Amino acid sequence: MSLSDHNSPASGSSRPGHVRTPARAGRVADAVPGRRPGMRRRTDAAYYAAMLGLVAVFAFPLVWVASLSLKTGPEVLRSPPSLLPQDPQWANYAHVLETTPIGRYLLNSVILVAAGVVGALLLSVPAAYALSRFRGRMRGPRAFTRAVLAAQLLSPLIIAVPVYRVFVTLGLINDYVGLVLVYIAVTAPFLTWFLKNYLDTIPTELDEAGRVDGCSRLRALVLLVLPAAKPGLVSAGIVAGVTTWSQFVLPFILVDSPDLAPVSVGVVNLQSTSGEITTQYLAAGCMLAVAPVIVVFAFLQRHIVGALTAGAVKT
Amino acid sequence: MATTVNPADPEGPADPGSGLGLRDRRVPRRPRSSGRSGGVAGSSWPWLLPLGTVLLVVLVYPVLEIVRLSFTDASLVTGEPYSVTSETYTSLVTGTDFRHTLQVTFLFVLLSVVFQLLLGLAVALLVHGAERRGLRGVVATRAVVLTAWAIPGVIIGVIWSLLYQETASGVLNHGLSLLGFSGNTPFLSDPDNALVSVIVANIWRGTALSMILCYAGIKTVPDQLYEAARIDGASPVQTLFRVTLPMMLPILTMNLVLATVETFNSFDMVLSLTGGGPGTATQVLALDVYDQIFRQLNLGRGAAMAVVLMAVNVLVIGLYVRLTERQEKEI
Repeated sequence: MSLSDHNSPASGSSRPGHVRTPARAGRVADAVPGRRPGMRRRTDAAYYAAMLGLVAVFAFPLVWVASLSLKTGPEVLRSPPSLLPQDPQWANYAHVLETTPIGRYLLNSVILVAAGVVGALLLSVPAAYALSRFRGRMRGPRAFTRAVLAAQLLSPLIIAVPVYRVFVTLGLINDYVGLVLVYIAVTAPFLTWFLKNYLDTIPTELDEAGRVDGCSRLRALVLLVLPAAKPGLVSAGIVAGVTTWSQFVLPFILVDSPDLAPVSVGVVNLQSTSGEITTQYLAAGCMLAVAPVIVVFAFLQRHIVGALTAGAVKT
Repeated sequence: MATTVNPADPEGPADPGSGLGLRDRRVPRRPRSSGRSGGVAGSSWPWLLPLGTVLLVVLVYPVLEIVRLSFTDASLVTGEPYSVTSETYTSLVTGTDFRHTLQVTFLFVLLSVVFQLLLGLAVALLVHGAERRGLRGVVATRAVVLTAWAIPGVIIGVIWSLLYQETASGVLNHGLSLLGFSGNTPFLSDPDNALVSVIVANIWRGTALSMILCYAGIKTVPDQLYEAARIDGASPVQTLFRVTLPMMLPILTMNLVLATVETFNSFDMVLSLTGGGPGTATQVLALDVYDQIFRQLNLGRGAAMAVVLMAVNVLVIGLYVRLTERQEKEI
C-alpha cells in the first residue's frame, strides 16, 4: 500500500467537508500539555497494536487466498494448514490463465469499466452542471435531483428483470453494446450526484466571468469549469471504476457467454466448475480478479478516500 | 428562444409516473435570469435530457414494469401469454416460504448493519486518533481496511468460502482448534451456522464503507470543540459522547440508511458463499427474487417479491433523500 501520501493533503481537499489530511497532526498531539511522555508513549503503543490488529483482520482473507493460490492440490487439503506454501506454485496462475477464460473475463471487465465510466461521464457532466448551476430556478431540477439520488440506491435486480425482457425482445442478450449501455445507465446517477456536489464548490463567478466575455454556457463549462473540476472528475471516475468493476447482477443476468462476461461473473463460473482438489486454481482466479483493484488502490487511495468522504459530507 | 420557458417537457408524455416528481412544474423563470445569449442558456432541460432519458429507462420504467408484472402469472419466457392476477401476493402472504425468507433477511440486515456501524465507528475513531497523534502507517491501515469495499461481492463470497473450509485444513477451523474448539465446525453446512457465517462475512465486507463515512464525519468536527472540551476538563469518553458523536449524527444516520439499503439489496456475496443454502437457511430476499425469476422462471411471483424488496428500498431511500436535502439546506 502506498504510504507516499502520508501527511500530504488529498488532492482537491481544499473543498469544504473534505478530508483534511494531517498536515497539522503533530501539533495536536504536542499541544496536550501536562501529560507525562511515558504515558503518551504507552498510548501510542496501544494505537499501533490496534492498527496492527485491524490490518491483520482485513488483510488476512486475501493473504490466505494468495497462499492457497500458490499451493499444490494435496497441500491445500493438508491439516494443519500452513500460511506459507512449501514450494510456491506459480504455475497455478499459468494453469488458470491457460485452461479458463479468466484472461478474457479480465479484458471484458476492463472494456466494460472503461466504456461504462466514460459513457456515464458524458451523460453526467452536463446534468451535474445543470443541477448545480440552474438550481432553484425551476421546480424540475430539484425533483430531478431526487430521482438521481434514488437511482443510485435502487437494487440492480429491480432494473435487471425488465431490462432482461426488453433485451430478449430486441435481441440484445449477449450483446456488448447493450451491456455497455446498461453499465453507463447504472453508473451515471452516482457520477451526476458526485459531480453536482463538486461543481457546487466551484464559484459561479468563474462561469459568469466567461459568459461576460461572450462564452456560451457550453463553452464556459468546457473551457472554464471542467478544468477547475478536474480533481473531482478524476476522483469520481476512479470510484465509479471500482464500483463498476464489482458490478455483478446485471452482467450475470444479461450475458451468458464467456466472451462477454466480466471477471465477477467469471469467478462464479470458475467456482461452479471447481472441486476440492482444484481449490488452488479457484484461489488463483480470485487473486487475478482482485489484482487490478488492489493495484488501483495502492496508487489512488487518496482519491478514493477523498471522493467517498466528499460524497457523504457537505458542511 | 430565451423566453421560451419550457421546451417540450421531456419526461411528459412517456411518464405516467408523475408521482415520482419528474415532471416540470412550469414555474415561471425569474425575468432577469441569465438567458441573454439565447440557445440553451435559459433552460436546464436540454442539459438534463440525456440523463433524464436514461433515468426513465433504468429507473422509472423498471419500477413500473415490476409492479405491473407482479400482478400477473407471467413466466420469464417472453412472448407467452399470461393473465392478470393478485394470486402472487396472496400466495406470498399465506405461504410459509416467504415468511422464512423475510425472517432470514431481517436477521441478516439487522445484525450486519448494527455491527457494520459499530465497527466502522470504532475503526474510524482509531484511525482518526492515530492520525491526530501523528503516528505512522495510518494511511496504509485505512487503505487495507478499504480494500474490503473495493473487492467485488461475489469474490468476497468465494474468498470467505475458502476461509470457511469445513475440514481441519480450513484456516478458520484450524484457528478454532488452536483455541480449543472443534476443528471441524460446519460453518456453511449447518443451517444456523451458515447464517452466522454469512453475516460475519458481510460485516467484514461492509465495515469498510461505514468506516470511511464515519471518518468523514469525525473530520467535520472542528478542532476548537475538542480544544474547548479539553479546557473544560472533559475525559476522552465524555468528549466522544458529548462532542464527537452528536456532531456526527447526520452522517451516522446517513451511514445507517446506506448500510441498510445496501445490505437489503445484496445477494452477490450470499450467492457465491452459500447460494442461499443449506436448504433455504441463508436465502435472503434479493437472492430469493433472483431465484424465483431466473431459476424457477416464476416471473409473476418473483416480481411480487421484488415489489416487497422495492417497498423497503423506497422507504429507506425516501429517508435518505430527505436527510440529504436537509443537509443541503443547512449549508
